[in-house]
Amino acid sequence: MTRRASPRLEAYAVLAAIGLVASLALRRPELAAAAAPFALLLTVGTQLAREPKLDVEFTVEAERTLEGADVDAEIVVRSETPVDRLELLLDLPAGVAIEGSDSFAVRLRAGEERTIPLQLRCSRWGLYDVGTIEARARDPFRLVAWEDRLQRMRQLKAYPRPETLSRVLAAVDTQAFTGSEVARAKSDGIEYADIRDYVPGDRLRSINWRASARRAGLVVNERHPERNTDVVLFVDSFADVRNDDRSTLDDAVRAGATIATRYLERRDRVGLVSFGGVLRWLRPGLGPSQRFRLIETLLETGVAPTYVWRDVSLIPARILPPKALVVALTPLVDSRFVGALENLRARGFDVVVVEIDPIGLVAGGKEPLESIAYRLWVLDREGLRARLERLGIGIARWGDDVSLEAALEEVRTYRRYARVARA
Amino acid sequence: MPLARAEDDALVEVGLRVAVLALLALVASLVLDRPVLLPVSLFLLGGLYAAQLAVDDAALDGAAPLVAAGLLATAELGYWSLEEREPCTADPGETLRRVGFVALLVLGAVLVAGSLLAVVDVVRAGGLALDLVGAAAAALVLTVVVVAHRAGRDSG
Repeated sequence: MTRRASPRLEAYAVLAAIGLVASLALRRPELAAAAAPFALLLTVGTQLAREPKLDVEFTVEAERTLEGADVDAEIVVRSETPVDRLELLLDLPAGVAIEGSDSFAVRLRAGEERTIPLQLRCSRWGLYDVGTIEARARDPFRLVAWEDRLQRMRQLKAYPRPETLSRVLAAVDTQAFTGSEVARAKSDGIEYADIRDYVPGDRLRSINWRASARRAGLVVNERHPERNTDVVLFVDSFADVRNDDRSTLDDAVRAGATIATRYLERRDRVGLVSFGGVLRWLRPGLGPSQRFRLIETLLETGVAPTYVWRDVSLIPARILPPKALVVALTPLVDSRFVGALENLRARGFDVVVVEIDPIGLVAGGKEPLESIAYRLWVLDREGLRARLERLGIGIARWGDDVSLEAALEEVRTYRRYARVARA
Repeated sequence: MPLARAEDDALVEVGLRVAVLALLALVASLVLDRPVLLPVSLFLLGGLYAAQLAVDDAALDGAAPLVAAGLLATAELGYWSLEEREPCTADPGETLRRVGFVALLVLGAVLVAGSLLAVVDVVRAGGLALDLVGAAAAALVLTVVVVAHRAGRDSG
């Protein structure tokens, strides 16, 4: 610990010296009597001041938490020597708040251990390193202070707050493995599909006896199997439109985490591509462990400004399996991301866009020119949506006035009509 | 007589001005969070007392222990206020304990200053007062300078 003289020490030394010199100069013992307590305090105080032998630990109850949820933590401090006043300040990163005061003062006897309980809250999803503690110990006469900056780092992962979503979009094509999506193919399953003539090898329980009674030969039922689907979340990290309360990237990560969780619950495979200044991806996978991998990759999503043109050909083929449903989460403000969506559609992928509407985050402008520019921008966005929908890309507009569930319902309707139009 | 009265009035006026200046320095130190102004205030108050002693030229002023106590109380309370500016969760009873400690220091100052004056009074009757006080003061000055230098050298 670094030892520092307090302002008292210098002040008392100067006052004592001046008082004693003045007493000699003016030949007045009263001045020496007035200065003597300062001199005595200085002498006794500095001799009794001892550097504390501190041991400080910082622990967090859980490594993972939800944004906005409280997480318990504690500082445990013990000292081999007595400390008259120990001040501790928990220096937290931006995005992490503490319930109550972030600074504490305790008095420790020799060998005593004290536990200071805390409650932390992460206001936003992300990865946080907490545990920087400023410590200052003072002697009883407050002449000397010992200071240190302690690093007792713990990583806190704040998961995105889940959005309300009870149904997800059905993919156009399914994969070979068992899942919860009713496939268009005909095989063993639960959902009734059709009937056909019996061929040797068909199972007896498949025979439709009623239909067979009306026909000359045996007839069997055909069913739609339940298959899983491959879903790839395509997160736009080129740009982030934000104001004090909201950010399109924050909303994209929350929506992505919610959508991924719902698909994984249905035994679908979910992968992730974070497409922007930094290209990050995760292979499609199943199960609870894939959920943690996805969310922890999403937590690292951030906007790294770049002017480099990015192309989907940079993404390895194993990350974008054929017939996968690509769910893009984007504010549709960067032309590079729009180009990537058109590229994916042209390659035959089933693409859906969840548009994180930035209109509510951008002020209209007070000047007439600003107002006209704003209206042009809004019209431009309408044109972009129409262009993407003509390509067969469903767009779910999710904003302040529309919930994620309602936005996806609109896309569901669009895709139903789109399929009818193709037929 | 009128000349002496005029000189007395002038001295009182100067004394009042110095006192106001000391008070302003004290208030400025606390309000503006400037620890360097606190010893300035104490120096002005101490200087005022020294000037009063020089003007009055009494044998031995019995109020010296109270002056010492007052200066120490002002210093301790002033620095306490400056040190604990940020809100902090402290142990229950911490403030009361600190008040008690400062009160003990002030009482100690009264006893030390009073004892020193009593010794001076006894020795003065024997004719060696001033020489002894001078020697003791010189020794104390030396001790204070050495201790302050060591404490300042050991700090960061």
